[in-house]
Amino acid sequence: MVNKFIQSAEAVGATIKHFSGLDEAGPYLASLANGGTVTTSSLPPQLATLCSGMASGSAAPADATLCVSRAEAGIAATGSLLIDLKSAEERGATALAPIHAVFLDPATIVPDIYSLGERIQQLLSAGDQAYFSLTTGPSRTADIERVLTIGVHGAKELHILIMEGV
Amino acid sequence: MADATIDKKINDKFLRRALKNFATAYPVARAKAFEGIDFEALRGRIAQNKCAGLKELPELIVRFTASATAAGAKVHLCRTPEDANRTILEIIKGKGADFLVKSKSMTSEETELNHYLEENGIRCLETDLGEWIIQLAGEKPSHMVMPAIHKNKEEVAELFSKATGSDCPPDIPFLVQKARETLRSGFLEGQVGMSGANVAMADSGAMAIVTNEGNGRLVTTLPKTHIALIGVEKIVPTLAEALDVIEVLPKNATGQKITSYVSFIKGPTAGDGRELHIVLLDNGRVKLAADPNFGQALQCVKCGACANVCPIYEIVGGHVFGHIYVGGIGLVLTPFFHGMENAEEILKLCIGCRKCNEVCAAKIDIEGLIVDLRDRIKKPFGQKFLFATMLKNRKLFHTALRTAYLAQKPLQGEGGRIRHLPLMFDSAAAGKSLPPIAEKPYRDLVPAESRRPKGEGKGEKVLFYSGCLADFVYPELCRDTQESLEKLGYAVSFPQKQSCCGIPARYSGEMDIARDMARINIDVLLEEEADYVVTICPTCTMSISHDFPKLLAAEPEYLEKARRLAAKTLNYSELVARKMGSGLRAQGSGGTVTYHDACHMRRGCGVKEEPRKVLAELVGAEIREMADCDKCCGFGGSYSLKYPEISREVLQNKIANIKESGAPTVAVDCPGCRLQIEGGLEASGERINVEHTASLVAKSLK
Repeated sequence: MVNKFIQSAEAVGATIKHFSGLDEAGPYLASLANGGTVTTSSLPPQLATLCSGMASGSAAPADATLCVSRAEAGIAATGSLLIDLKSAEERGATALAPIHAVFLDPATIVPDIYSLGERIQQLLSAGDQAYFSLTTGPSRTADIERVLTIGVHGAKELHILIMEGV
Repeated sequence: MADATIDKKINDKFLRRALKNFATAYPVARAKAFEGIDFEALRGRIAQNKCAGLKELPELIVRFTASATAAGAKVHLCRTPEDANRTILEIIKGKGADFLVKSKSMTSEETELNHYLEENGIRCLETDLGEWIIQLAGEKPSHMVMPAIHKNKEEVAELFSKATGSDCPPDIPFLVQKARETLRSGFLEGQVGMSGANVAMADSGAMAIVTNEGNGRLVTTLPKTHIALIGVEKIVPTLAEALDVIEVLPKNATGQKITSYVSFIKGPTAGDGRELHIVLLDNGRVKLAADPNFGQALQCVKCGACANVCPIYEIVGGHVFGHIYVGGIGLVLTPFFHGMENAEEILKLCIGCRKCNEVCAAKIDIEGLIVDLRDRIKKPFGQKFLFATMLKNRKLFHTALRTAYLAQKPLQGEGGRIRHLPLMFDSAAAGKSLPPIAEKPYRDLVPAESRRPKGEGKGEKVLFYSGCLADFVYPELCRDTQESLEKLGYAVSFPQKQSCCGIPARYSGEMDIARDMARINIDVLLEEEADYVVTICPTCTMSISHDFPKLLAAEPEYLEKARRLAAKTLNYSELVARKMGSGLRAQGSGGTVTYHDACHMRRGCGVKEEPRKVLAELVGAEIREMADCDKCCGFGGSYSLKYPEISREVLQNKIANIKESGAPTVAVDCPGCRLQIEGGLEASGERINVEHTASLVAKSLK
């Protein structure tokens, strides 16, 4: 299932990396940020700590280089990531940065969108409000002469960091 | 539709290339996207759920409104486009704003929102790349999913240069980057954001938005006020039905397994003064949903696949083939959303090939609805009288055609074919030669003994229903049919009182005449006891089996008869295929043939394998499939006279595929396709034969 996920995600232009721990992932993120501002969305504490160490730049979210997120789940059939985006500020961060890096626990990968139905239903029922997205590959368009072009309004690069237990 | 507009599109080289490339690429991408997925089961579920939902649409609206309100959204149910536009203006003004930043919403195209807001001092910015391009050009979308498919990069570069004040080269990555940079400030400065929605869920009050570019999340996030404009038919009961829509939409629309972003939004998230206004648009939908004949049109999920596969859309594009909603379903929805006055001309543009029905994500009988809607069009003066007089009296019909033909005798060229028609008709012959009307129709040539039913014990009894075209133009094909069936052991009888199946009347919106023809033929074809009624024209078969019961649904006595007749009516190849497997095989080789699937055979009758089986086993032919073997040849009966230029272009595509197959013979199961294709091949100087399967079988059995 993990292999199927990787195959699907790569087919739509995502970059896949495997990490065994944060000590490995840290330098990779730093290289993606390349000294620019790092924003985050829906991160558990240990990832938030890791990223806060990197958030060197002080530019507004609109000018951030990298946004780091963690996916709730992955879909093997399409290479999609389920990302909770309830906070408007964090949501904006994922949508504005040219590079989006998303941690994914391989244990959360399910075969298809239907197998995520229960999880999606939970998110929809959890509180009064909800906002979450299935993100698949970088932002794309084919609106001019049907030529596939990557990176219109959203991320130009999508990096999926596969790490157990993340 | 003004001929000049059609001509302009036909001669627009870029448009033609863009649409042709798309028509070629789409089926491949679509097939790949649906790999491992049971499309029929999926669309069956969607059709069933949507249909059930539409029956309780008013309740769904109430439930959705309650759930969305509980989630903190303000829901505005608007009866008309004007109501919706005014409501949106008031929301924007209430925020003290004068700048609306939008992601793609076909529904706002339907209400012509931008125009209204601009008139009222609100600046609107479309941020979907395609929508922005057409906004800058001041045009309407020519495709529901790819609104600017008709624009080339040079035109886009010019528009962007003007909009940004900097020189933009016609380089696509550059232009996309330019759009990113230019529109970014719009997202950041827009005071109110607007989106559509692809599906809304009554139980949770949530909506889902399916996008590729990422602008959907930006306009629903950065401005603190989000307005979602949603047609009420987008509401489904629960997430389960919504997931099916999300599953099918990108695959059917663009051949993507899923889009880059599928966002679920419930209520105004985060409490920092954010507002979510949901503007629900009715605009005739609640009434349409309750319409037993046309309600199914609202099952549409707006994927645009009906345009993607349409042979006419491929030639003329969405600015001709549609109004605001384009493609097959656009033709159906226009009278209900934008009035019959905007639909009359476009409803005539459908050639009736039913390709759209095959791919429709919601299993809508798009072609059937288009034809049924023609009933409501104003008819040309005298049309009804003409149909009533000619179709009901086949003898008179033939005489009239024959007279017309004799008057044009000087036009016949070598081999008796007609290559030019007098001035006013000349476009009908454009790109093809026409066969002459036969001196004697088959009805006058039928062997006398077969006019009487053959005796008992002589095998199963077949009534041969030839169809007008074969009777008047191809009597030898009728003879081949009768002789080959007799050789195969059937007792064949040709009922002399058979008349036109009524399709020309039905396609021209003369439903009363079509109903008369149905009754006449039912009586004739049930008068004589027989095991089968066999036709050599799938349009006739489709008409008898499918249309007769539909036309006579309100007449119990005739409905019963129509069903009885439908149950025993078959295409020639279907009947002959039943003899296969009993040791009957061709003696010699039938050579190489390529097979053209007639639209009404493949999609009207659902027949695909039988003619191939007959050709392989009984004719001994090697079948070499051509590309797009089931794509329309452009004939469409009177369509080729009404729109000769379009018909000619569709034919050219078919001819190119036939040539490419390299086969010396094209086999068809429809005399209309034969007429069209052999005319096109002859005119282009190709020495490729076109034969009806019945003639090939007859030859093989000789």
